[in-house]
Formats: sequence, C-alpha cells, structure tokens
Amino acid sequence: MRKSENLILIAGALLLLVVLPCLNAFGAEGSALHVSDYTINLWGKYLCYGILAVSVNLLWGYTGLLSLGQCLFFSLGGYALGMHLMLKIGKLGQYYQAGNNPRELPDFMVFLGYPELPAHWVPFGSFWFAALMVLVIPGLVAFGFGWLIFRSRIKGVYFSILTQALTYAASLLFFQNKFTFGGNNGLTDFKTLLEADLNAPDVRRNLYVATVVLLMAVLGLVKWLLGTKFGKVQQAIRDSENRVLFSGYATTSFKLLIFVLCAVIAGAAGALYVPQVGIINPSEMTTDKSLEAVVWVAVGGRATLLGPVYGAILVNVLKSWATTAYPDYWYLILGGLFVLAVLFAPNGVAGMPQQFRDLLVWWKSRRSALPDTAALSA
Amino acid sequence: MFSIQILLRRWLLPVLLGAGLPMAAAWAETVDPALRQQVVEAVLQEDEEQAARIEALAETGSDWAAGVLALWRAGNLQVDRPADGPELLFTLEGAVARRLDTGESFVPVSPKEVATTSKIRKAIKNATDLIAVASPDPKVRAAAINKLGMSQNADYLPVLLARQSKESDAAVQRALREGIALIQLTDEDDVVCLAAIGVLGELRSLGSVDLLQAMTVSDDESEAAKAAAGQALHLIERYQKQVETVGSLFRGLSAGSVLLVVALGLAITFGLMGVINMAHGEMMAVGAYTTYLVQNIFGGGVALSMFGFGLEVPGLNLTGAAYQSYFICAVPASFLMAALVGIALERGVIRFLYKRPLESLLATWGISLILQQLFRLIFGPNNVQVSSPSYLSGSFVISDVVLGYNRVFVIGFAVAIVFLTWLLLTKTSLGLFIRAVMQNRQMAACMGVRTERVNMLTFGFGSGLAGLGGAFLSQLGNVGPNLGQSYIVDSFMTVVVGGVGNLIGTVGSAIGIGMVDQSLQSLTDPSMGKIITLGSIIFFLLWRPGGLFPTRTRSLEG
Amino acid sequence: MSSQVILAAEGVHKSFDGFKAINDLNFYLDEGELRTVIGPNGAGKSTFLDLITGRTRPDSGKIVFGTGPGEEITSRKEYEIYRLGIGRKFQTPSVFSEHSVFDNILLGLKGPRGVFRTLFSKMGSAEQDRIEDVLKTVGLFDKRRDRAGSLAHGQKQWLEIGMLLAQEAKLLLVDEPAAGMTDEETHKTGELLLRLAGQHSIIVIEHDMVFVRQIARKVTVLHQGHVLCEGSVDDVQNDPEVRRVYLGRGKS
Repeated sequence: MRKSENLILIAGALLLLVVLPCLNAFGAEGSALHVSDYTINLWGKYLCYGILAVSVNLLWGYTGLLSLGQCLFFSLGGYALGMHLMLKIGKLGQYYQAGNNPRELPDFMVFLGYPELPAHWVPFGSFWFAALMVLVIPGLVAFGFGWLIFRSRIKGVYFSILTQALTYAASLLFFQNKFTFGGNNGLTDFKTLLEADLNAPDVRRNLYVATVVLLMAVLGLVKWLLGTKFGKVQQAIRDSENRVLFSGYATTSFKLLIFVLCAVIAGAAGALYVPQVGIINPSEMTTDKSLEAVVWVAVGGRATLLGPVYGAILVNVLKSWATTAYPDYWYLILGGLFVLAVLFAPNGVAGMPQQFRDLLVWWKSRRSALPDTAALSA
Repeated sequence: MFSIQILLRRWLLPVLLGAGLPMAAAWAETVDPALRQQVVEAVLQEDEEQAARIEALAETGSDWAAGVLALWRAGNLQVDRPADGPELLFTLEGAVARRLDTGESFVPVSPKEVATTSKIRKAIKNATDLIAVASPDPKVRAAAINKLGMSQNADYLPVLLARQSKESDAAVQRALREGIALIQLTDEDDVVCLAAIGVLGELRSLGSVDLLQAMTVSDDESEAAKAAAGQALHLIERYQKQVETVGSLFRGLSAGSVLLVVALGLAITFGLMGVINMAHGEMMAVGAYTTYLVQNIFGGGVALSMFGFGLEVPGLNLTGAAYQSYFICAVPASFLMAALVGIALERGVIRFLYKRPLESLLATWGISLILQQLFRLIFGPNNVQVSSPSYLSGSFVISDVVLGYNRVFVIGFAVAIVFLTWLLLTKTSLGLFIRAVMQNRQMAACMGVRTERVNMLTFGFGSGLAGLGGAFLSQLGNVGPNLGQSYIVDSFMTVVVGGVGNLIGTVGSAIGIGMVDQSLQSLTDPSMGKIITLGSIIFFLLWRPGGLFPTRTRSLEG
Repeated sequence: MSSQVILAAEGVHKSFDGFKAINDLNFYLDEGELRTVIGPNGAGKSTFLDLITGRTRPDSGKIVFGTGPGEEITSRKEYEIYRLGIGRKFQTPSVFSEHSVFDNILLGLKGPRGVFRTLFSKMGSAEQDRIEDVLKTVGLFDKRRDRAGSLAHGQKQWLEIGMLLAQEAKLLLVDEPAAGMTDEETHKTGELLLRLAGQHSIIVIEHDMVFVRQIARKVTVLHQGHVLCEGSVDDVQNDPEVRRVYLGRGKS
C-alpha cells in the first residue's frame, strides 16, 4: 500500500506539475496535445479544493473532528488576499476611469459612499503583509475559537454544530455592507497580482503551478505528521479520546494544534483560489460549502492520504459536467452520492479496492465453505 | 382596459377604503342630482373659488362625494370632451364608463384625465378628511379625527366640537378630546392652552410628544405653558416606556414561540434520540408546502410538474368561510405528511447510522439537498403564495400595544403543541416506551419493547412536529425551497442551549433567545441583532457546554 | 513490605442529582499493596475510580497520592494525575483499535507528552526494548504487529494492563479485569496481577469471587458509597453485615 501510494504521488506530481503546464505553454493550438488556458484555470480551481479537502480530512478523517467551518477559514484566506488585490486595482477601477474616484478606493467603497480607506485596509496594500495575513487570520480565529471549544470539552456532533453556527454567524456578518468587505457582492474585478496581469495565460499558469506545489507540500506535511508520535496520538484521539486523556496526553493541545494547522492550510488554499476565479464573496463561507468539502472527502475516502484529492477532483469534474448537462438534477446527484457514500462506501474511492478484495475473500470463503459442510453432513 | 382594472383593484380600492369609503355602499346608493351637480361644478369650474367650493363639499357629508374626490386626487377621474358637445365627467367601473352628472353609463369619445394642482389636491384632502370624521365606521372616524388634530389647524375646531356632542363611541370620544386639545395647543389664550396640555398629559397622548417637546423649548410660550408641557411630557414618556416594554415583551414572546415551534421537533429527534437530522428544516418545508397544497385544493387547484410530467391538482373552488377553513385542515395534513417523510427517512437511512452520529449528520445533509431540489422541481424555484385566512390577519390594540392576530396565534399554537407533546410523552404508553428506549435501549429491548418500532414512531413524531412548524411558518413568511435552511441553525442552537434531552429546557431557551433577539433588534438593526444573538449563544455554549439545563449522567464514555 | 501509605481518600462525598454515589469514604492503600474492592452494583466502585483519576471531582473531602507528604489530586486534570503515576484500566477494554499492538504500548510509554515533543521525538533502541519487554510480560509479543481492534477480548485487557506497565505507573487501577474472560484467561490475568504487586500498588475491582480468592490479600467491601468492612477474604465473607448486603450473592 505504502509503495503504491508513493508511486501515485510521484506520478501525479509529474503529470500535474510538468506535463500539463508544458502542454499548455508549448502544445500547438488545436492539436490533441494542447491543454487550453481554460482547462489549466479549471484544474487550478479543482486543486485548491483538493487542498481544502486535505485539511478537512486531517481534521475529520484523522482526528475525528468534523468541522463545518473549514470554508470559513478558506474564505478568510481568500478575503485577506482579495483585499490586497482590490487595493492594487488602483487606476484601472471603473470609478477612477470615470473620474469619480481620485483617492483610488476600491469601487464598492465609492459605491457605498466611503469617504476614505478604512484603517484596517491600509496595510493590505503590501503584498507580504497580505500574504502573512492569509495564514495569520484563519490561524488566529481557529486558535481563539478552538481554545474555547476544546477547553469546554465540546466534541462529536456538538463540535460540528458549533462550528456550523460560527460559520453561519460569520457569513451573516460578511453579508453586511457596513462590515467594509463589500457585502454580498464581495471583492471582485481584480486586475493585477505583483504587477502581473491576472488575465494573462502565463500568469494563470503560474498560479496553477503554485497551487500544485502547495498541494504537494501539504500532502508531504500530512504524510510526515502521520508518521510521528504526534500523528499516532492524533489518530488515537479519533478512536478513543478518553483513553488518550487517561494515558497522560493533554488532548486539548493536540486538537488545538491540528485545528489551527488545518485553518492555516485552508486559508492558503483560499488565497490561491481567489485570484484564479476572480471573486470572493460571503456565499463561499456558508456551511453548505463546508459540507460539500466533506462530501469530497467522504467520496474520495477519509483517513487516506490521497482520497480527499481524488474526491475533490472527481466530484467537481462531475459537477462541471452535470450542472451544464442536467442542471436540474445536480443537487439530486450530489445528495444521492453523499447518502450512498456514507451508507455503502465508508472508505470512499480510495478504500474501494480493499472493499472489493474483502468482498471477494468473503465470497470465496462462502463458496469454499459450502462443499465442506456438504461433505460433513454426508 | 385590463390595466385600468388592475389599477382599480390594486390601488384604488385600498385608497378608497383607506379614506373610509365602503365602495359598494358608495356606488349603489342613489345620489341626489343636486349633489351630483354640485360635485360636477366643483370639478369643472377652474377659478379662484374652486378650492373653497371643493371644501364646501365636506358640508354635504356624502361618502359618494368623498369617493369621487379621492378618485380625482389619485388621477382617476376622466373627462370626455367631444368636439360637438358639453364636457362630461365620468368614472370607470371596470370597463364601464359612468357619467358623473347622471350616473348612467355611456361610451366616451375622447377621454382625458382631469388634471389637479397641488392647491386643489390639498382642498380635496381637507374635504375628504372632514367627511371621514362623519364616517359610520368608528375606526375610520378616530383615524380622521387624529389626522385633523395633528394638523393643528384651528379651522377644524368647530367640526370636532360639533362632533363631540353627538359622538357615542368611547374610543372616538377619546380621539376627539385628544384632537381638540392638540388644536387648542396653538390657542392664544394661555388658559385654554394650559388646559389642553393638561388633557394631553392625562390622555397619555403619544401623538403629541413632538409638539409638546417643541413647546418646551419655544420662545413664544409662557413659562407656565412650558412647565406644564414638561410635566405632561414626563407622564407621556413614562407611559411610552411601558408600552414599548410590553410591546417588545410580546414580540419577544412570539418570536420565542416561533423558535419553540420549529425547535420542538428537533428536541425530540436530536434531544431524545440523538440523531442529527440536517434535513429537519426540509421537514418544515414539507409541512409548509402541504399547507400550500391544501389551500389550493380548497381554492382553484394547482398545476405541478414532476420531472417533466404535468400533474393537475383539481380544486374544490370553495369561497368564503369554507375556503378560510383550509388552514384547519392543513395543520393535521402537514403533520401527517412530514411524519410520513420522516418515517421513510428513518427506515431508509438513519436506522443504519444510530451508532455513527457524525455519519448521520452527513447522510441527512445529503437528504436535505435532495429534498430541496425536489421542492424546486415540483413547486418551482420561487416562493409560492400562501394567503393567511382572515382570522389570522389583522391586529387589535390594547392601550397602544399592537397585538397582531398571527402573533397571538403563534403563542397559543406553541403552548398547544408543547402541551400535546408533554401529554404524549408522559400519559401514553408510546410516550413511556419512547422514554424507556431513549434512556436505555438494551434494557428496553429486554423488557419486550420493540425498539425499532419506537425509533420509527419517535422520529416520525419529531418530523411531524417539524411539519406543524412549517404549516405555521407559512402564515408568517415566505414558503420556498430554502425555507428550512433559514431555520436549521436557529433550531439546533435552541435545543443545545436548552440542554439536549430536556424538553422544558428547550421551551426556556426558545423564549429566552426570542426575548434577547427582539430586544437586541430594537437596539440595533434586525440583521445585526441576529448576529449578536448568535454570537452570544456561541459564547454561552462555550462557557456552559451543557446548556441551561444540562442532563447529568454518570457515565460519559464515548 | 513497606507500609507507607501511597493513596489516602478522606471524607470524600460525591452525589449525582441527589443520588449519593460516594458517602463519607475513607480509604488507605499502602505502597506495593494489592487491594481488591468488592461490593454490590451501585456501591460506588467505578465512581471511586473516577474520583481518583480526575474524571469527576468530589463534592467534599480530599484524595492524596504519593508516599511521604503526598500530593493532593482532588482538583487535578486527568492527564496531570496520570503523569503523577496513576494508571487506569477501564471496565470495558479501551485500546486504540486502529493502531497496532506495538503502537498502543508506544503511546502508553513513559516519556514526554507535550505536543511539540511528540512531533519531533524519535524512538530509540532503549524504548524499543522496553516496549518488547512489556509485550512479553503481558504475553502479546507475537501479536505486536496486529491491529489492536482484532485482538480477542481477554487480550485487549492484557494490552491495556501492558499500557499501564509501559507508563511505569506507581498505582494501577484495574476495573473488572475478569469480566467476559474464559476461566483460563481469568487465571492468567490473576497470575499477571500477582506478579506485578510489590513493584506496583494495585487496586482491583472485581465481582468474580473465584478470581478475588485467587488474588486477594486484603479486601475492601463498599456499600452505598461507604466502606462496609475490610479484611481477608474469609473475614469478609463471614461478616454478617456483608452477608446481609449481598443477600446471598457471591457466597461461592
């Protein structure tokens, strides 16, 4: 198992990191080997979801914490970078070009009648500050909330319900215009990142490559983590938290660290997602989005290293196809997929080979058992 | 023609009714030809005296005249100016044009709207207001008197004083005293003015607050008047606070009852059974859509589409009281329908997941997606219209506190279903089984309780309660595919705050959250109020994970 | 044998919703002693262990652990109490079923338990040896690569005891070790506990009187959260109070 996992990891990395971008850059337009800019962009999005799914899996699959707040952290990371991108629109903004915005405020602020840039927006003019905040803000929110929730020994479904409530409250807050983050329209109409034109094919390709690199790094981190004693404690918490507590481990600290780590990973994924799709708004941080990310993990196979990535890609490819081919039935398919995965394939796609093998063994043993009993009775 | 009909129905009727003119009566009565002539002259003679003539119409006290004036003011009075004949004023009743001078119908040649100026519109308003003071409906009379009083126009004083001597209705008498006092505030004579201030204070007149306030800082008033106004204000403001407190208590209670109705089902399925049913909101939607269906069956029927197949649901075409009674049938139907869906859900999915609560959360979320999409496919993606029966719309006022019928009904309904739930759980054998199974599954099974069946019925009961909640929400807001989503977080919070497995706790927390929510909403705006409430709940639960009434158990093995 | 007291519970009370689970309990355990606690259902035996391990906190009274002046543990957290050297085996076997037998012992092994220490700690050969020793002691060496969840019931109990040994706990709290075991397994468990006594202080809670007879030196009888009597197995069985309480039960 380990060996095949490594093999898939290396092959996948090669394909995603080298082959696809090369085909995009050098493949002749129209030839069978050409990968379109659209496809690169689409896969960049899928892989951002993949990173998010890995974080969900690290929490749910390996630690038993079903957080319905991962999309909140994803969005917080997205908003942090989105703020920077908004400030870099500058002279390219519609209001500026119409001559109504000499202070170069983000367009929505002009629209909502802000006299000047709110103080907490100012430092986001610096890319490095924004990049730091992409990690720090989700991390801090997760630390504060996690500290309170784990200290109160809230676990299981209560943990899920409270993270759901947190996400819901946050989305309501972001929907408010006066919260200075653009209300329900969110942040959009980005132009440049680090002076590069966000709509240029090579910039998009670079963003895609950055996403693959981050995905590989996160997968490497998870793999390393699971091998340490920390990883063993973490999985033990999932199976029997009381026993871990009575084995002298302060489970609270372990859970807190994992929670913060996963929030940071989700935030980074969100920050890469936003420039690729060009918008971030509060509808990204609803609990439904978090649950959708859980579906990817459930379908791909939880508590497996690569399952979440399979799931994110699989479900989203299916979604892209179904929402155009059968728009009315997409939610039926998604809901049904979820129910079926929970009921019949608890280990998801990644667990299916094993499930088939077990089934085969069971079937064979039944077949071979039958003549024996027949012989006995004869 | 069609558009005019719509116009009449949408705009004119409310305008007329608002001015206190019972339509049917106004048009059916035989109108004195002299009055007709007077009205026609008032409309058509455009000279210096026109405004005075219009105001003089008030002396006729005729509702018919007021109706015509109101039409005129709204721009719905027409004039026909044929090249070869006299000008003819007319009104439109549906497609029929009716001459104003004779009341006969005719066919206009070149109709045109009769124009008004702002001066004329003011005169019309004065006239219709004065006519309304004599309206047969006491509510309309009181409202009209109030309006005249607030204008502080001394010209109206004789009208009000004259009315005072023949008015028999107590509420209108009060309005008259208030109106007269309001006008008398402007009186030159200090004695009259002081007396008026005294009356307003005594009446606790909420409407006079701004005027009295202006008096206390005005330079034109005497010191005595200022002091008296200050005193009266004090009385009124104290009263106002009481009214506001009672009003927000009432609103809080009714908001709490809504929460209670939507959360009670969850208190059963989640609280007692420990099943995280993310499709609970959709059970409510099932109830709400059932109400919609029942309403349409009582009415004109409805066409549904299911996966491309059209389905005509025939209607009984009932009207009046029989139609209004649809809601009484819709309540049990909603319960049954949601209970059936709940039982199907329990048998099909949840029973395999009793030992895996997180998985049941996920599977039921999948179900909720499916149900939402089914609602969209069957009933369309937009909200459907559920009209409130007449006995649930409207409101009554008890000493300045407005009590909406539907809010009062919410409270009564909540009390009723909590009582029924309590009865079921404590007085029936099913309730005994439910409590036994929830406390100790194995032991109950050993005692011969069919736990599978009890699970099924309990879940069905909880879902049915959600359906009742939905039937009920259909009377308060929109019914659409996302109905359940907007309540699911609130319901879970209510149950958890109350203490899981504790029905009394759920009652307490629902009312508490409703009260907090309403008072916060009156301090800030509704959406901020909701956010702050949710935030406080989260912090409360982080501080007290067991909720208000934690269920203590000896073994917490998990 | 030394006669220093290692665990003292004095005047401990605990009630749940009015039900007095522990009522003025006074209990002393000497270092290296193997004590058996018996009592009818609801006598407060498991609650007593919950109180010692910090799972619940007493309403009043105090519990002191350690020789010499000792340390009050009444309001300590579970993992802190554990780190002082009190290990508990639960009534229902609770091992980490997804981990291998070896990893179960590894997780129990005495050593740093901080978050960051576990991230960067490497297993040395000394630890490897120690784990193998423990596995041999509890007779699970051959099964060390198996998933703990796949072990038989009795083997899980031994594994759990092994985890306590790896921890080098001074005081072992063993809750109904013989429950659900075959006679042979029960006997082996008894021998294991007898071997461990002396190096460790042990409190065993048990119903099975055959087993109690096998291991017991001194027996404490709990009744309604209170110590009814203490003494040898024979003394206790002949005590009229105890007979009355048990109503004929456990006289075998």
